[in-house]
This record gives sequence, structure tokens and C-alpha cells, in this order.
Amino acid sequence: MLQDVTFGQYYETQSFVHKMDARIKLLALILYVVLIFVVKNFYGFLVVGAFLIVATIFSRVPLGAMLSSVKGILFLILFTVLLNVFFYQAPNETILFWVVSVESLTFAGFMALRLITLVLGSMLLTLTTTPVALTDAIESLLSPLKVIKFPVHELALVMSIALRFIPTLMAEADRIIMAQKARGADFDSGSLVARAKAMIPVLIPLLISAFRRAEELGDAMDSRSYSSSAVRTKYKKYRLTYRDLIGSIICVISLAGVILLNVYAGGIV
Amino acid sequence: MQIISKSLTFSYNEKANFSRRALDGATLTVNEGDFFGIIGETGSGKSTFIQHLNGLIPLQSGTLTVGEFNLTVPKKRKEKKAFLKSLKQLRSKVGMVFQYPEYQLFAETVREDVAFGVKNFFPNASQEEVDFKVKKAIELVGLDYNLVAEKSPFDLSGGQKRRVAIAGVLASEPETLVLDEPVAGLDPVSKKRLMSLLHTLHDTGVVKTVIIVSHDMNDVMENCNRVAVFENGKVVKECEPKSLFENYDDYALSRLGLPVTAYLTKTLKGVGVNVESSYKIEDFTNKLIEKYFENR
Ligand SMILES: Nc1ncnc2c1ncn2[C@@H]1O[C@H](COP(=O)(O)OP(=O)(O)OP(=O)(O)O)[C@@H](O)[C@H]1O
Ligand SMILES: [Mg+2]
Repeated sequence: MLQDVTFGQYYETQSFVHKMDARIKLLALILYVVLIFVVKNFYGFLVVGAFLIVATIFSRVPLGAMLSSVKGILFLILFTVLLNVFFYQAPNETILFWVVSVESLTFAGFMALRLITLVLGSMLLTLTTTPVALTDAIESLLSPLKVIKFPVHELALVMSIALRFIPTLMAEADRIIMAQKARGADFDSGSLVARAKAMIPVLIPLLISAFRRAEELGDAMDSRSYSSSAVRTKYKKYRLTYRDLIGSIICVISLAGVILLNVYAGGIV
Repeated sequence: MQIISKSLTFSYNEKANFSRRALDGATLTVNEGDFFGIIGETGSGKSTFIQHLNGLIPLQSGTLTVGEFNLTVPKKRKEKKAFLKSLKQLRSKVGMVFQYPEYQLFAETVREDVAFGVKNFFPNASQEEVDFKVKKAIELVGLDYNLVAEKSPFDLSGGQKRRVAIAGVLASEPETLVLDEPVAGLDPVSKKRLMSLLHTLHDTGVVKTVIIVSHDMNDVMENCNRVAVFENGKVVKECEPKSLFENYDDYALSRLGLPVTAYLTKTLKGVGVNVESSYKIEDFTNKLIEKYFENR
């Protein structure tokens, strides 16, 4: 069923990482991404790996859920590796055979590690943070932009509404698919073009229903005099705790570690 | 086609341990020619059950046969493939009208929308054949073909849309028609019309068997010749409407609400007026009037 394709993949449990402030986690992810891109050698990845392992253990998320994300981009990884193996060129290569050299293999492995750790890190964020908390965090982090009249609140509203309606639309799509299957529609056979065409009887009703829902929601908000310019308080207050402090410290230490290793162990890039 | 289900069990989330079973051993027989009613509280598994009937939901455990068709999914890969292919044939025989079927309309014109099923089920049919079937189906549901055929289905009223959606199912000439709460959200007049339309289809043999799902005791009482009551994924009663009526003290039934006539019979009995029970409101009224004049 389509509904199984969960979005955000939040994994419900109680853990250190779950209880951290979403803003800190988001900032930590940004730092983490930076980290992955400044890493210049494999020692650096030891630090990144250690960071990931510690974070995963403290998030109490099952390993399977984490690794499933890598499965999703396996093709991309394979593609990157192949491209790099065949097209990477270094000044004085140690050719193994044909165009494959020690350097190109090393570099390809390096890129694969980058991709994998990148996905695992972002996966950890979505597994431990509800979409609602994430939207709130984005709104809070972007709020300085209000000074230059950037519609931060509206942006967050749009995001949370979109997230809210994903499961609803998935369920709706399931229903429509069933209804069209009952009328003999065939979604699983035929050429790619035929299959794409077969989706039309699903997409049109789905689109119509999405518009209908949007209109209804708009009316409902209007009838409650909703206005985005109103000054409002938050139902949920987010407060920083010792967890956020510890989390931040670990992130900073990791970044420092990688930079030091870059300087002292040199780079392969 | 006879439909026999035995101990049908289904849970939407097989893996998750918290999932309650949507069907928990539903055993039921629908004979050819029945106007069969399925009632039950919300969440009792009615929709889940009927979606099994044309293989939209694969069997998890238990057995289900629809006519010649055995819906147990074969284990072997090759047989499974053949099985999935053959589902199309089953679906052309068992027409399924979902709840709020008007939300599945998609084509530019009513004619094209109704033709969708016909073209899927009869890929070799000529344009004339398709047109003929479409016209017949639109007229069967009581719409004026010349008036609506070239209109966009989205420009019709709610009741008309629902008729078009039903026509879309009828056009491929199913033997059995399954409807999930076909009158939900309709006004009383459209409701009555739709029910009488279903009776006409049934009586004239356009469809041999009709299965309708309903929340409403009265609908089922007045229209069906057999009824099954679902509760928590089980069939707790399968009988004629009349005997359902006689057991209105039953817990499961009392939760569904008594049919109006049963309620009146019971209440009148309480004040010492004994009226013979009858489950059609018209008959009941007549009996009550007779009684009244008797006492005068
Ligand atoms: N797509 C789905 N995913 C997960 N659970 C579902 C799904 N559809 C139904 N269920 C669950 O299965 C059970 C039976 O649902 P079903 O729709 O068959 O009930 P119903 O008798 O048709 O109810 P209603 O009268 O409200 O239509 C319910 O507990 C429901 O929560
Ligand atoms: Mg239902």
C-alpha cells in the first residue's frame, strides 16, 4: 500500500536524541553536512563514523531503519562510484588496469562514504524529530529574517500544512487506485509509457480532491478569522536543556577533530 | 455466482503488533440472486470484507470463492503471476461501487468516463460496441444520454455524479454488483430513487446478485432478502431481515439502533398495545390503522 511509504519516517520512542531541541538537531545536521564536506582523509571519516554511531546509540533507533535509507540510494551510490572509477584523473596515477587506478578507486570509495554518511545523518534527524517539531524549528531559526519582511510564518504554515496532508492524500490515492482497479485499470504491466498513462485516472481525481481540501481548509481558516499577521503564542514552547548542551559540545568536538585530522594527516583530495 | 467465505482474517498492518484485525474470521455465504445486506458499526470490517470479493485486497488467511474463482493467492511465483492476471476477469464479473464513487470520476466527458471500464475489460471491443454499452449503462441509471453524454462529469450534481459512477461500473455488465454505502450523503428523495434503481436492476436481471453495505438498519430491513451483521471483523449474524427483527434485544443489534418499526412495536407493547411485527414501514402503518379501527 502507498501509505507504507511514510514521509519523514518518524520513529516513535523516548531517547536522548528524541528529546533534544529540534533547532539544535537541525543546526547539528547543518554542521554535520559541513563536516562531511571538509573531511579530507579516511581518518576524518573515523570521526564522522564515531559521531554517527554514538548518535544512533543514543537515539535508540533500530539499525534496520537507519540502513534502509542507504538501500534507497544504492543506485545513486553505485552510479557515483562507477563514474569516479572510470573518469577520475590524478596527475601521476598508479594504473591497475585500463583506466582504473589506485587513486580513482580511493576517490570513488571516498565519495561513496560521503554519500552514505550524508544520508545516514539526515535520516537520523527525520527518525528522531516529528515533522511538526521540524517545521517549528525552521520557523524559529528563520525568524531573524522577519526583519527584512521575509514571510517566515507563512512559509512554516505552508510546510506544516503540506506535511499534514501527505498521509491524507496517500490514503486517498490508495482508495482511488482501488476504485480504478475495480474498473479494470492495470497499473503493473505494459510499457513505461503505458504505465504512466495508466496513472491519469488516479492523478486527476487526486488533484481535484487536493484542490477541494485546500479550499475547504482555506474556508475553515477564514471562518475562524485566521490571519498570518496576527501576533500569536505557541502551543508548545521549546526550551533548551542539558541534552542540547551535550549534543552541541559533541558536534563541535567532532568538527574540531576533523579539522585537526585534515591538517595533520593531510588529504587525499 | 455464489460467494463463500470461510474464516476470512485480515489485518492492514501484518507486521506491526499493535494492529487490530480488520477481519477476524468472517464466514459468510451469498447465493446467486440474493439482494444481500451487510450492516455493522463503523470499523467493523464491512468495507475490508467486500474489497476481498474482487481481489482488491489479497487474502491473508481463510478461504474465499467467488463462483468458480478461488481467491487464495498461490505461493509459487509462476502461478501467482497467472493468478494476478486472472483477477481482471473476476473484476469484470464483480462490479464494485466504492463509497462516494463520484470522487473517482476523471475523464473529460461522462461518455468517456463510463467507457473506461468497458475498454479495460473488453480491449477488443469495437467502437460501436463500446458506445452501445455506454449508452445502455447511462440510460440504466436513469440519466438522459443525449443530455449528459458530452458534459464534463464535474459539472453534474452530486446525485448525478454518483449515477454516472455507478453507470461506469454497470457498463462492463457485471453479474454481481457490490456497493459500499451507496446512499451515504444523499438526500431522502435521491436515496429512495437509488434504492429503487438497484431493485429494478436486480428484478430485471441486469445484475444477478446485489450486495450492499449500509449503516442503516431501515435500509437493510426494507430492501434485502438476506442480511449479515458484522462486529469486530466477525459475522455475528447471517439471516433473513425478519429474524433479525425478532432478535432486536440482541446486544450487537441494539447497538446498531432498532429499525423504526421494531422500535414502535416494542414501545407500543410496553403500553399494552400489541401490533404484529412487520418490517416495512408501510405494512406496519396499515396494521396500526387496522388495530385502531378494531378498537373503536
Ligand atoms: N487503509 C487502512 N489502513 C489501516 N487500517 C485500516 C484501513 N482501512 C481500514 N482500516 C481499519 O480496519 C478496520 C475495519 O475497517 P473497515 O473500513 O473495513 O470498516 P467498515 O465496517 O467499512 O467501517 P465504516 O462503516 O466506517 O465504513 C478499522 O478498524 C479500520 O481502522
Ligand atoms: Mg466502510
